[in-house]
Amino acid sequence: MESFVTELLTLLFAALRSATPVLAVVLGEAMTQRSGVINLGVEGQMLLGAMTGFAVASISGDPWLGVLAACGAGIALSMVHAILVLGCRANQIASGVAVLILGGGLSAYYGIPFVGNKIDTLGNLNHTFVSDIPLLGQFLGPITPTVLITLLAIPAISIFLFRTRTGLRWRSTGESQEITRNLGHSPVPYQLAAIAFGGLMSGFAGAALAVDYTANWVEGMTAGRGLVAVGLVIVARWNPWYALPAALLFGASEALNLKLQSWGVPISPYLLATLPYLIPLSVLMLSYRGLRASGGGMPAGLRVVFQSAR
Amino acid sequence: MEIQLYNITKRFGEVTANDGISLDIREGEVIALLGENGAGKSTLMKMLFGLYTPDEGSILVNGRETLIDSPQKAMSLGIGMVFQQFNLVPALSVLDNLLLAYPRPPFWTFRRLFGEGASQQNVLAYLEELAPGLDPNTLVRDLSVGQRQLLELVKVLNLNAKVLILDEPTSVLPPQEAERLWGLIRKMAEAGRSIVLITHKMQDVMACAHRVVVMRAGKMVQALTRENCSEASLVSLMMGDSSQRSDIDTHRDPDLAGKPPRISLRGLHANHGVQSIDNISLDIGPGEILGIAGVSGNGQHLLADALVGLVPLSRGEVIIDGVVLQSASRAPKTSDRVAYIPEQPAVNAVAGDLSLTVNVALSHFRQLRFFPAWGPEEEKTRDIIRRYQVRPDNPALGAGQLSGGNLQKLVVGRELEGPRDLIVAAYPTMGLDAGAAHDIYQALFTKAREGAAVLWISEDLDDLMSYAHRIAVLQGGRISGLFNPDQFDRLDIGRAMTGEHLPTADPAPAEPQARIAS
Amino acid sequence: MTITTQPAVRFGLRLLRGPTGAVLIMAATFVLAALTFFAINGRESISLFQEMVMGAFGDGYSFSETLVKTAPILLTALAVALPARLGLISVGGEGQLYLGALFGTGAVLAAVDQPGWLLMPLMLMGAMAGGALWGVIPGLLKTRLGVNETISTLLLNYVGVLLVSFVVHGPWKNPNSLGWPATIEFPQGAILPQFFDTRVHMGLIFGVVAAIMLHILVTRSRWGLGLQVSRSNPRVGATAGISYERNVLIVMAIGGLLAGLAGIAEASVIQNRLQDGLASGYGMTGFLVAWLAGQHFLRIIPLSVLMGGLLASADSLQLYAQLPKASADILQALLFIIVLAVASLWPNRPKA
Repeated sequence: MESFVTELLTLLFAALRSATPVLAVVLGEAMTQRSGVINLGVEGQMLLGAMTGFAVASISGDPWLGVLAACGAGIALSMVHAILVLGCRANQIASGVAVLILGGGLSAYYGIPFVGNKIDTLGNLNHTFVSDIPLLGQFLGPITPTVLITLLAIPAISIFLFRTRTGLRWRSTGESQEITRNLGHSPVPYQLAAIAFGGLMSGFAGAALAVDYTANWVEGMTAGRGLVAVGLVIVARWNPWYALPAALLFGASEALNLKLQSWGVPISPYLLATLPYLIPLSVLMLSYRGLRASGGGMPAGLRVVFQSAR
Repeated sequence: MEIQLYNITKRFGEVTANDGISLDIREGEVIALLGENGAGKSTLMKMLFGLYTPDEGSILVNGRETLIDSPQKAMSLGIGMVFQQFNLVPALSVLDNLLLAYPRPPFWTFRRLFGEGASQQNVLAYLEELAPGLDPNTLVRDLSVGQRQLLELVKVLNLNAKVLILDEPTSVLPPQEAERLWGLIRKMAEAGRSIVLITHKMQDVMACAHRVVVMRAGKMVQALTRENCSEASLVSLMMGDSSQRSDIDTHRDPDLAGKPPRISLRGLHANHGVQSIDNISLDIGPGEILGIAGVSGNGQHLLADALVGLVPLSRGEVIIDGVVLQSASRAPKTSDRVAYIPEQPAVNAVAGDLSLTVNVALSHFRQLRFFPAWGPEEEKTRDIIRRYQVRPDNPALGAGQLSGGNLQKLVVGRELEGPRDLIVAAYPTMGLDAGAAHDIYQALFTKAREGAAVLWISEDLDDLMSYAHRIAVLQGGRISGLFNPDQFDRLDIGRAMTGEHLPTADPAPAEPQARIAS
Repeated sequence: MTITTQPAVRFGLRLLRGPTGAVLIMAATFVLAALTFFAINGRESISLFQEMVMGAFGDGYSFSETLVKTAPILLTALAVALPARLGLISVGGEGQLYLGALFGTGAVLAAVDQPGWLLMPLMLMGAMAGGALWGVIPGLLKTRLGVNETISTLLLNYVGVLLVSFVVHGPWKNPNSLGWPATIEFPQGAILPQFFDTRVHMGLIFGVVAAIMLHILVTRSRWGLGLQVSRSNPRVGATAGISYERNVLIVMAIGGLLAGLAGIAEASVIQNRLQDGLASGYGMTGFLVAWLAGQHFLRIIPLSVLMGGLLASADSLQLYAQLPKASADILQALLFIIVLAVASLWPNRPKA
């Protein structure tokens, strides 16, 4: 019995660590979509963030500098989306795909010299007071700083979004640009900030993956995490608090995949590797069912975006 | 605060929307700006609110000439306007919506966390006065139309408005809520505010106006005090010499009136999104115009969609001439013998990117060949354009480039072409000017005389009472009243609209009951 | 002098303001961006660019390699453009391509002893079924549950790739391949016909024929009209008796089927077997081409050739100039960004 609980907790905390990059993207993308802009380019921003973070950490020897550089890279790439969408009024889906391809290409191109490098990691909570906590210590110990930062971002974002004037206008921008404009506020600064924040979070997510979680750089290493995150934003109903369980879905499917492999379950690892895509997709289906029934949750401004392929 | 509009003229291209209009607005006074759709009332007030600037003439605020070039400027002068289209975000709460419009909202809107701060009391002060008991955390999408309108009023009052412009405020309200609004308007005037009431309804004028300014075709016809006018005199002023209402012949052919009903709705139930209809049973005879009254959002759209086969029924059936058209036991289907004329044709009745010819061909899409021949279709379109005077008259034009009125004429022409058993018209004249509305009614009722059954949904009780042969009231998805012409009474129908009473009388004494062999 | 040139100048200016001008500006900006990109990375940009053009269209062999790349791009672009005619944004070409290869290979393995006249049609039908399946699933999710097709197609791409990995590492692995994860070599009867001793294969013909047929169907037929109406206003389409739901399934199935053909062509002609890394990136390139063409089927054909040239020359430059393969992705993205920006800013934007 005890071993079962231990096993379960191990799985949960493993899920939390593997969910962290996805969680960061879900939070960022939820904020972007709250302003009425969808950005599929987060996948590319995440890759560029991962590569930049890893490269800077590897050159400078300071992983924290790497994390900062990753955030910068994410913001920089997201500005391409901002210029296309806000400046040129280009289709948001198409622009997102362009950013996705660009981020993938740039990270692959400039990441070549860093493949196989070793970097210092950010460390974890082992050997702090936390690991001495009885029973829970062994689980809390392996938690790394990016996990904590991402978790702290949840209440911060929630307070900003639901408790401040700026957050209120941010939300109203996403619901209706027209009404927001009628009320005398320009939607553009909010949308720009929203895209940049999405860039920041996805760049950070890349660093959480490359600098912290795996301490490694491989071309295309995000493997669709950014795109899964875009789907999970819908599951999370654009709410930062629901982002955690939504991202844990991905983390749990990945942790389950690894766990089942380590147990030697006679299922091909390639089939198990489909779980992190199929499970979020299934939950997405259920979520859409609920969305359809209640009609609530989706920022009204997004509905327009999801139509018209021009 | 005193405002004088002096000799205001505004043109849009060829059209002169306002022609040399002068008007005084005095403190503590309710002015009704009366006129038909398109008379230029809203244009005039939009200039006062800074949305348009006049081409000629001037606006004097407290005796000083003032340029009002933006709504912000108007609001800073103490002029506020409540539009027919509400500026509310449905997904946000009442409080959030008020804060969004508040000139100096607090940066932190902590509320559930630390209780209500002082500045929030300011935001909510008027809300408590106008709508006591309304929880500020309710989402706006859960509010009734009347409550939303109160919210818009609170927003304007929060801006310290001394002059309030209300654009057709009662057009969306059931009679009882309209009465409450009249009381509110009188109270605000007593408190020293000036109120301009844009309206085309006599009752508004009679209930609360101190002065009436009648407009017609962009000109001011006359200004009177309420004591010096009667409803009849106002109607003739508003309509001009050619009082258009009377020249539509809605008489039912007595031969048709005796015949059994053509259309039977038997216990219709349907759900779609938030709307539902519940046990709707009605019969419509040949040539009969059955009006459906009710506050919008009580299932009207769903009823229309279910009849024409856009939404499945969950119970019941629709029978035309003894043949089942829609039924809960099978998938809904559209029929070429059923005409559908919805409101806002640009959204509901045409594909805006495609040509007029294609849009006309949609009425018989299934009869087109696999590689359609467009010559005859274009001929058909030209014919409709000619007979219904659609402008511009180019069948190759994209439907999206036509004005609402012309588009609706095209849709009416398309839908009434050929034999029709049932005509479903849902708010067919919404947003159209009086001339276009007249043409559309004319076409619709002419078709009815040929023997089609008409189900006509409208929220304009006056129109319904003047033209319909019977009126059924929809309330909460149910039929809450069925009225024969001798029972047409605003208050009775109004009570049915708000669900205050359910009639006990035999629902349709004049009509033979349905007994359709199937 | 001025009198004679003036009409010409005016005509030129009018041309520039129209779609032609937009295309010229796009091309010029793209060349400039590519040169800048090379220069930033310390390359001899002009000569490298020349080599690129030569690598794509320089001689018969280069051009044949360009056409080899054209086929899958063309087919996956059609798989994007057809749903787009109904307003759907499908990014599922990659997954549909893999599923086509998977099912087609399955048919080959099941009927490996059959003669070519039977084997070939079985293989193609399998491929079309697999691709169509990967199109119909997002279609069903869309019509039944309302799941956004962009997100579901993107996620299913990864699943499709993993399913191919599964079979080539597992059940379908060739025992004699010394651990190399791949199926057995396709028998001669399962290799699509090729032209003039090059690797240019039937897939290209399929693509061109499909593009022309789709163009005629969508612009001239009642069915195509139904798509236009549904896209413009689904509610009005429903009133006229046009089923949006059924059309979603049809366009997604046809699109998937075409991408599936691209997949089996790659497996059959280019690799002679099914293996990992079958065709990385063709799906995205197809998406890009479809958008560059404004979802216009006939414009997709030349644009696919151009994009095929870009990929082919990137392959050869990787060999001769040590230019990383990723530069092709970067150039594609730059082109896409430039086209999106210019098209939105131009007064007379090229019509979609």
